[in-house]
Amino acid sequence: MMNFLRMLLYPGMVYILTLAMFLEWLDRKLVAKFQNRVGPMYVGPLGLLQPLADFLKLLSKESIIPAGSDRILFNICPITAFVVITLAVSFIPMVSVRGLLSTEGDLIVVLALLTIYLLLVYTSGASPPSRYSQIGAARAALMLLGFDLPLMMSSISVAVIAGSFRLSDIVAQGRYYIVGLHFIGFLIFLVAAQAELDRLPFDIPEAESEIVSGWLVEYSSWRLALLRLAKNMEFLLLTGLAVNLYLGGPVGPSPPSLEPFLQPFYFILKLVSVTFLLSLVRASFARLRIDQFVSLGWHYLLPLSLIYLVMTIVLVN
Amino acid sequence: MVTSFEAIKNFFRKRATILYPEEKIEPSATFRGMLSFERSLCIGCGLCWRVCPASAIKQDRDDKGARPVFLLDRCIFCHICVEICPKKAIKASRDRGSLVMDKSSLRVK
Amino acid sequence: MGVYLPMGPQHPLHPEATLVKLRVEGEHVVDADVDASFVHRGIEKALEHKTYTQGLYLAERICGICNVAHTTCYTTNVESLAGIEAPYRALYLRLAVEELARIHSHLLWLGLFAHTMGFETLFMLAFRDREPVLDLMEEITGGRVTTGYNVIGGVRRDVDPGLVFKIKGVLTQLKERILKYKELFESDPVIQARTRGVGYLSKNEAGELLAVGPVARASAIARDVRIDDPYLTHEEVPFNVIVYDTCDAWGRAMVRLDEILESINMVQYTLDHLPSGEVRVKVPPFFRPPPGEMSSRVEAPRGSLLHYVKSDGSDRPVRYRVRTPTLANLASVVTMLRSRNGKIVHIADVPVIFSSIDPCICCTARVTIFDERGHVLEKPLNELLDMRRGR
Repeated sequence: MMNFLRMLLYPGMVYILTLAMFLEWLDRKLVAKFQNRVGPMYVGPLGLLQPLADFLKLLSKESIIPAGSDRILFNICPITAFVVITLAVSFIPMVSVRGLLSTEGDLIVVLALLTIYLLLVYTSGASPPSRYSQIGAARAALMLLGFDLPLMMSSISVAVIAGSFRLSDIVAQGRYYIVGLHFIGFLIFLVAAQAELDRLPFDIPEAESEIVSGWLVEYSSWRLALLRLAKNMEFLLLTGLAVNLYLGGPVGPSPPSLEPFLQPFYFILKLVSVTFLLSLVRASFARLRIDQFVSLGWHYLLPLSLIYLVMTIVLVN
Repeated sequence: MVTSFEAIKNFFRKRATILYPEEKIEPSATFRGMLSFERSLCIGCGLCWRVCPASAIKQDRDDKGARPVFLLDRCIFCHICVEICPKKAIKASRDRGSLVMDKSSLRVK
Repeated sequence: MGVYLPMGPQHPLHPEATLVKLRVEGEHVVDADVDASFVHRGIEKALEHKTYTQGLYLAERICGICNVAHTTCYTTNVESLAGIEAPYRALYLRLAVEELARIHSHLLWLGLFAHTMGFETLFMLAFRDREPVLDLMEEITGGRVTTGYNVIGGVRRDVDPGLVFKIKGVLTQLKERILKYKELFESDPVIQARTRGVGYLSKNEAGELLAVGPVARASAIARDVRIDDPYLTHEEVPFNVIVYDTCDAWGRAMVRLDEILESINMVQYTLDHLPSGEVRVKVPPFFRPPPGEMSSRVEAPRGSLLHYVKSDGSDRPVRYRVRTPTLANLASVVTMLRSRNGKIVHIADVPVIFSSIDPCICCTARVTIFDERGHVLEKPLNELLDMRRGR
């Protein structure tokens, strides 16, 4: 019974979903602040419940399947995307050095699940016949080539230097990999994460002013709600991964007796600072073109991450 | 980079927007707003309804003769009628707009 | 050849109903066409049913943003037709308000242009900085956007010294902001990547396609009605015609930003050198100009604007004709949208290119004539005449 509650409430599903929605709120609020606006205001204190309200609103909308779309894919993709990304998030240590799930080599599992999610983005964009959606899906697939390898390499470098592919082992060492050489890795990770999350300057698959909202354009009702929630979870996953790999995860200075209370607090604090950086990047740039992004990825990001990986391996030996 | 600094500066600035239903911007003293009509001053010369470009003023009759009826939902706030009225019976206000629940209240006699 | 990709008439790119018809192969645009006939409002015809005084307010509503240009053009046109002379001070005030309108139009454009690149922050900031200018407009003219300032025979209101002081203060602050934006356009790598070399229109092409306004000036053609055919007191107010020779979207952006700076200087000079005297001569509401024709040109924020009027001696025009700058630039934008001479246009460039001409469709809309099978007629007038003759 205790175990079931642990999986469901804290630090389980409810906690993860709340955190994901909180991060969406924080991102919106921060970007609004950067743009001299106010952001969400009315639902709940300071608009904290706005993501939840959006979610519920989308659930109440009419469910439309565009004529000529692949009905099975169209229905399955949102559900699978959400499930896959939630599974990945549950490997992230959030309230203690151990995640909800933990196994040997779970960093690889998380990265694999992330790639599966991105492929699901492609299929969900390709299933309706809309041209905007098709173009968005093609762009998403093309983007995947540009940022997925750098993201993996910068993550694996940390695992190499920590000597373990298990997230809880990396975190338990209590080291902050952001200093020195690994700062490059941190930057590569952030850039790749920004691209992975379809956020400015890399929101090319969604590109509102060009292809309306790209691969998402035909989705409505619970499908859109799930896809949006999946995107929030992806945000949580990537910021959580950045915190765990480079900022020491939930570990921080605390007496052993207070650890169950202080560690979630440290984690959220670090999460907020990473979100601040990502939001600042989102607020400071225009959107790149797809060819420009791919050339950025292959000319700078990939060589840089390769050099970083080789340097860490040399450093370890 | 320029925008990043600007964004961080904005972070500490006061918001530029207003929270509309709670706060309202006061129109400036010279704002051309809704019309108001002083029926007792009107002499029924008919200039206003002949000059109105939006046909927002209709001719009406009562026991004193021809009088205007203002259909303020059609008004384009050009204020020619205010300028042309020889008796200054039509007055301009600073009132912003014609946002009402009941359209018939915009019919001013 | 290629896949048909419509952008519009309902699309986040367009604030108005426009259809950009694209043929794309992958991410490349191979062919493009623009259809701007969705919002035809029949204003020219309606103007024939209004007296000259009433028509002013309809002409003002041809376009929301460049309404000052339209009223300036209309009043200049009708005044010279009817032989009315506006007082000297009124001409100065008209010029000041016209330049203020140019400032807020270009700032609006800056925001929309940033939005088409996905630059949300610049969009918000441009709109924030536009707001004080609109407040000034409200204080000077009585209307935030639809000003109703120019009337036949002068302007509606005078400015007092306190207001002049306030205008100068706001404009000095605005100048700093514009210099910031210039720095941003010159230094930001993403903006450079998105606008440099995009929407190329060579000097020859711009000349052949009769581009007007900032589009022509960014293609190294110094074409500006304010210099070529001064209509207010432009001989007395010093200003430069901004010309860039980059021939691309970046150049158009820089032309507009520099023009804002020029306009700020012009407004400040005008307010410093305001002649004294009346601002308005009384004109009877139903005046009848002598029979004849007249046309006038004005440099609207988007380019040269032409009004033509024909009178038969009654209190209403027999024919009124408006040629808006966007109509003149549509040919250029279609050329820019096509991949040609080794310049590849990407789908992502289409919004940047299309908004770089600062399209204003509502004033441009023209009727498209279809035959009964729904085909657009190539030469509508000739074919209609043929139909009438029973061919």
